[in-house]
Amino acid sequence: MAAVALLPVSNLSAATDELSQGAYLANAAGCEDCHTDREHGGQPYAGGRALATPFGTFYSPNITPDPETGIGGWSDKDFLQALREGVRPDGANYFPVFPYPTFTKITDADAQAIKAYLFSLPAVRQANRAHDVPFPFSWRPLQTIWKLLFFTPGPFRPAPERSEAYNRGAYLVTALAHCGECHTPRNWFGATEPDHFLAGNPHGPDGKAVPNITPDPQTGIGSWTEEDITTLLKTGQTPEFDFVGGAMGEVVRNTSRLDDADRSAIAVYLKSLPPIRSKKQNG
Amino acid sequence: MFFVTKARVSMSAAALVMAAVASIAVAQDKETVIKDRQATMKEQGKGLGAVKAYLDGKGDLAQAKTGATTLTQTTKKIPQLFPAGTGGPSPDGDYVAKPEIWTDWNKFLDAQKAAATKADALLVAVSGGDKTAIEAAFNDLGKNGCGACHTTFREKISK
Repeated sequence: MAAVALLPVSNLSAATDELSQGAYLANAAGCEDCHTDREHGGQPYAGGRALATPFGTFYSPNITPDPETGIGGWSDKDFLQALREGVRPDGANYFPVFPYPTFTKITDADAQAIKAYLFSLPAVRQANRAHDVPFPFSWRPLQTIWKLLFFTPGPFRPAPERSEAYNRGAYLVTALAHCGECHTPRNWFGATEPDHFLAGNPHGPDGKAVPNITPDPQTGIGSWTEEDITTLLKTGQTPEFDFVGGAMGEVVRNTSRLDDADRSAIAVYLKSLPPIRSKKQNG
Repeated sequence: MFFVTKARVSMSAAALVMAAVASIAVAQDKETVIKDRQATMKEQGKGLGAVKAYLDGKGDLAQAKTGATTLTQTTKKIPQLFPAGTGGPSPDGDYVAKPEIWTDWNKFLDAQKAAATKADALLVAVSGGDKTAIEAAFNDLGKNGCGACHTTFREKISK
């Protein structure tokens, strides 16, 4: 009898837990940054932010729960398929400007929590803006070939011989926070180069260069301590008492809200990476 | 007739020379302005460094107070370090002062005032000597003062 009476309460708290967990994870993944047109005062998660790439300008879609212009009509399966396989509910492929090649590593439980959080937000009615991408890049079937060549689906696999902090950091960096999407250089087809993972990207978002964050002493952050990294993630301050700006300033808004344990896990993971020399800029 | 032509020629030559001199002067002036503001930013970095050294037990409180005092002064003179026409990449090509500074001048001033207020709060905290309060004020100034402004108005050019 007592157990029956308690059941709805525990379900409620489980739902609340999932929501707060989802909010934490959505922040770690920075969903709001790309899916909000802050520059023009856009509503959170309603999309429309311009993302300039060498292939054209993409406009992020509305991911509020509005059933017609957002993702309100999506099932859990639709949401998981988008993250894990880069496929829309109608079967079309996403362009890899949506970082599904990285999000494929997000665990199902985390993805479900993010969806629950997004669905708890106010629905905003705002139609998606068409991408401004020229042919042939605009031709979605081409993405099928791209995926065959460059996309490896599958969840994050922890390394059992490594520490818990390392594995948590690896999950945050390589899956949720998708650091490699900006910090890794891309080949001619716009795919990240695995052998230069996090080794800096001379042609990052909006054509801006993004620094090497491997421990390479010359071109990376080899001289940084773990504390230097956690400080940067917390307040944006570099060891030289400069403060990062631009796109990384936006990222710091999110990383400043992480737990101390997660920030230090990221530092542990980054410090354990093999140092990789940046590719030559004008090569 | 000949005389007039010659006079015209020499007048336009003089105008050309003057225009050239003026543009060099403006260019040099812009470079001086940029160097000056970079020096001020570095001075602010040193000020923060002095406060952090005290927090880490590596520096004394008097130096932290000097550092915080510097920050209260320098954050207030930021607007005059950004005269119109001094945007674009710095001479050493490391940073870009974004055009939004001047197209969104009032927003820029809001960001600067926020930083100045937070610098004042840091000095108050340092004068109080309580490390927990100092650390909170230090992080607030860094993240929501310096960092917030750099996020909107500055770009680093990575090499």
